[in-house]
Amino acid sequence: MAENQIEKANAILDRAQMASAEFNQYNQEQTDKVVEAVFKASFNNRVRLAKMACEETGMGVWEHKVIKNVLASQMVYESIRNEKTVGVISYDPLTGISEIAQPLGPILAVIPVTNPTSTTIFKILICLKSRNPIIISAHRGAAKSCTETVRICYEAALEAGAPEDCIQMISAGSREFTHIVMAHSKVALILATGGTGLVNAAYSSGNPAIGVGPGNVPVFIDESADIPFAVSNIITSKTFDNGTICASEQSIVVLDSMERKIIAEFEKQHCYFLNPEEIKKVERIAIVDETKSMSPFVVGQPVSVIAAKAGITVPEGTRILLAKLDGIGKNYPLSLEVLAPILAFYSARDYPSAVNMCIDLNYLGGIGHSACIYANDEIRIKEYAEMLNAGRVLVNTPTSQGAVGYFYNNLSPSLTLGCGTGGKNITTENITAKNLLNIQRVCRRKPNEMWFSCDQSKYFDESIGVDEIMNEYYKNH
Amino acid sequence: MVTFDYTPDNKIFTANFSGRLDTLAVQKISEILQVNLPGKDGISEDKIIFDLTNVDYISSSFIRICVSVAKQAGHGQFSIEHCQPFIKKTFKISGLDEILNVT
Repeated sequence: MAENQIEKANAILDRAQMASAEFNQYNQEQTDKVVEAVFKASFNNRVRLAKMACEETGMGVWEHKVIKNVLASQMVYESIRNEKTVGVISYDPLTGISEIAQPLGPILAVIPVTNPTSTTIFKILICLKSRNPIIISAHRGAAKSCTETVRICYEAALEAGAPEDCIQMISAGSREFTHIVMAHSKVALILATGGTGLVNAAYSSGNPAIGVGPGNVPVFIDESADIPFAVSNIITSKTFDNGTICASEQSIVVLDSMERKIIAEFEKQHCYFLNPEEIKKVERIAIVDETKSMSPFVVGQPVSVIAAKAGITVPEGTRILLAKLDGIGKNYPLSLEVLAPILAFYSARDYPSAVNMCIDLNYLGGIGHSACIYANDEIRIKEYAEMLNAGRVLVNTPTSQGAVGYFYNNLSPSLTLGCGTGGKNITTENITAKNLLNIQRVCRRKPNEMWFSCDQSKYFDESIGVDEIMNEYYKNH
Repeated sequence: MVTFDYTPDNKIFTANFSGRLDTLAVQKISEILQVNLPGKDGISEDKIIFDLTNVDYISSSFIRICVSVAKQAGHGQFSIEHCQPFIKKTFKISGLDEILNVT
């Protein structure tokens, strides 16, 4: 069995390596033609693929998945179409350094169940733009919609002259096989978007990996904020695809002095505050007690389904369930990440206490991911941003749509959000095509005059201290 | 696209390729090679050289043909010579440069 799987992995990687060899010869024009064709084909199928993903996974809202597909196709294409990714991409006459872009080689792309078609389109586009063949490994819960996405993109790519096998897919469902492919010596990079276990497996494979970290996004509503605007934006974001984006808000932190006003605003905008008994019931279905992680049965579900599962009654048309909690940590399950329209709510006696709460929430499984502040006070915005460990600190912005870039800010549109070392990632950037290149630097001779004009023999004399050397080094001759 | 030389003294059969060896071109070349390469009727002692001096692009299908011919020719009886650096690099990336004896 294992030998068969190794042979299967060898065959996939052999084909990918051949595609890599051929792709390496493409110029920018040929590459861009392929990328444009794949963009158009995936964009033209945005609605069908969204409906397929929604139906297959039983998660989210198809109209919102259309928007995700638009982000992954149109917006990603817009952001990379004019990027130079082949040959000399820059030259700085002052430093004498020019940069040459080289492809990496076969990339294994792991696709999550929460954003299956959009992440597939996104990763295919950025891989093709950087002339890297891609191997898609889909979550078994989204295998059909990912397979169809791959088929559409691959046919369009071939039609535009792309190398054979530039896009491949490995059958979903076998974790063991995915691990064999991850560790294969011919894999140049793993683009791992998914749960912590999967991302850790990618990092342990021995191959380079760009992973993502989990989120647990705190939102602070400052007293300088426009409250109806803040509440409206939070709802827009947390209900987007029923909260499946890992950058969606998880906890709201407000000041005591603002609490009543903010609760009233949430209620006015059709959100429901759970009573203590209801909180217990929702906790039981939202968080798996043994692992203290979110239950897959609530991920991407609307409030009506969550309420029915929990056995509680909420007003019809309720958009978000809020749980006012007294603490943060594993003893308060709803303070953990839940990708569903459920929010924790905290009230702090003063501003420093509020920021401290956000820091605790940030460090409760969401280090390096995203955080948010609603404020119109630049000093508070700066202070808050400096205290949080988040790759993206979003200001007056819905976090789901804000963190993925393009719609509300100038971040690179992306469905793979780097979380820095806090999230065990190499970068805090929104991953895009430029992250999938080896950049060679061609360095013209530009002798450093300070080094060559100082008396280098002094470095070998132990009696000469740093001050004398530095004076000599910086001397104006 | 492809011409052939044969030096009977050394028993060396050389296929000289030129131009862009994309998938379409390789389909035609494949048929020509099948007719002309030594060993099609059984075991041949001839050494086969693919000369790529005038080639400026190779597709993965051409690399597959190289692998197939190398297997057919047997160990040490096949080589690829006079590659432009660009083509040499392509064989390196394919990971098949040693098997194909690319010089």
